[in-house]
Amino acid sequence: MFSYLANPHRFETFARIAIPVCGWLAVALIAAGLWYGLFSSPVDRFQGDTIRIMYVHVPSAWLALALYFAMGVASFVYFIWRHNLADVAAASIAPIGAVFAALCLITGAIWGKPTWGAWWVWDARLTSMLIQFLLFLGYIALRAAIEDERLAARSAAILAMVGLVNLPIVRFSVEWWDGILHQGATVFRADGPEIHGSQLLPLALMAIGFTLLAGWMVLYRMRSAIMAHKAANLQRLREARA
Amino acid sequence: MRAGAIFLREARLAFAGGGGPAAPAAFFIASLTLAPLAIGHSPATLQAAGPGVICFAALLAVLQGAERLFGEDVADGTLETYGLSGLPLSVVALAKVLGTALATLWPLPLVGLGGGIAFGLPAEAAGMLALALAAAIPGLAFLVAIAAALSAGARRGGLVIALIAAPLAIPLMVFTASAGRAAGLGDAAASANLLLTCAVSLFVTALAPFAISAALKARLE
Repeated sequence: MFSYLANPHRFETFARIAIPVCGWLAVALIAAGLWYGLFSSPVDRFQGDTIRIMYVHVPSAWLALALYFAMGVASFVYFIWRHNLADVAAASIAPIGAVFAALCLITGAIWGKPTWGAWWVWDARLTSMLIQFLLFLGYIALRAAIEDERLAARSAAILAMVGLVNLPIVRFSVEWWDGILHQGATVFRADGPEIHGSQLLPLALMAIGFTLLAGWMVLYRMRSAIMAHKAANLQRLREARA
Repeated sequence: MRAGAIFLREARLAFAGGGGPAAPAAFFIASLTLAPLAIGHSPATLQAAGPGVICFAALLAVLQGAERLFGEDVADGTLETYGLSGLPLSVVALAKVLGTALATLWPLPLVGLGGGIAFGLPAEAAGMLALALAAAIPGLAFLVAIAAALSAGARRGGLVIALIAAPLAIPLMVFTASAGRAAGLGDAAASANLLLTCAVSLFVTALAPFAISAALKARLE
């Protein structure tokens, strides 16, 4: 699929269909998820209404991780096969991933204050997400600091790959450093989800909706970047003629 | 040109130029001096925070020479010469970083030992911390070298280096500081932490030259 879409024209045809489909599906799913999550699901026995923050918090966490992984894979594809579109994808993903990581941290803090009595605790998962946020920032900063476009792309791709290799070690070290405070996995478990169906439904709707939202934003940014590139080329051509 | 020659050249240059080993050591001592002034001098605080503060200050000391590591080579054409030498760039990177690190960073574990004692750690804890620092420093030097190679020729490279290297250095920070802390409590986990420090440091030393060489290759084209 990567090599098929590497052709900008084919990507353009694909994006023309995929962008509205992703966008509208995301709107519909998030609307449904919000309705179920905010009004139609029961309050938690222990957490009360603050449980509803989870419906934004957990999908953000999932996307911050998934987008970092996607950025690493796109960087790998760009680095090995030099498909420029893969680089455009990685560059488009970075700020979106950073925003989802920030959203996860902020909603976590809002949830943590009434539940744990603290905006922030230094436990493994919170710290890992903060590190994730920093990794995105480092990628964005490196890209912005190098003027030569091709060199910036190559350097950023190497950084994303190094980060991806390093990430499991970072996670292990942070878990090692921590005792466990945050609850463990409750949805993807070998013995089935440990979360009640009335909460799983809005969570699933929101997770899929957020994923489509991220896909919509990434594709939109990619198409904009390609258009900006084309426009710059045309401008240069016109100046050369004049 | 052989790898040994590059190693010797870089070690000599780093030793002689820009303060040599004195610069990072002095910087390390300066940050260690500031720490008690910032966090207070009660023995309990210093003992508890000591291993962490010392590791953190060591990372800063490794970072302070980073911008020069590849910046000048890219600017003055040394990199092209290395590219023409016929050696794989990963070997060049290995020799260069090892040479520079050995020439300039060797006093850091000793300063760490002194710092540990000054912070009131028991002698075994200070010794363990110095040992863990000695194990971590090659890894730290290579991680910082990746960041330095990636941002060579960038605007405000030093800032970017610090931002990139900080999250990468987390595992080494965690294991090194934990070794010192556990030894201070007489915990047997100290040697486990020391071994993990060695493992991560070796892992980084083995793989980083390839990342550095990829970054340098992009700057040669």
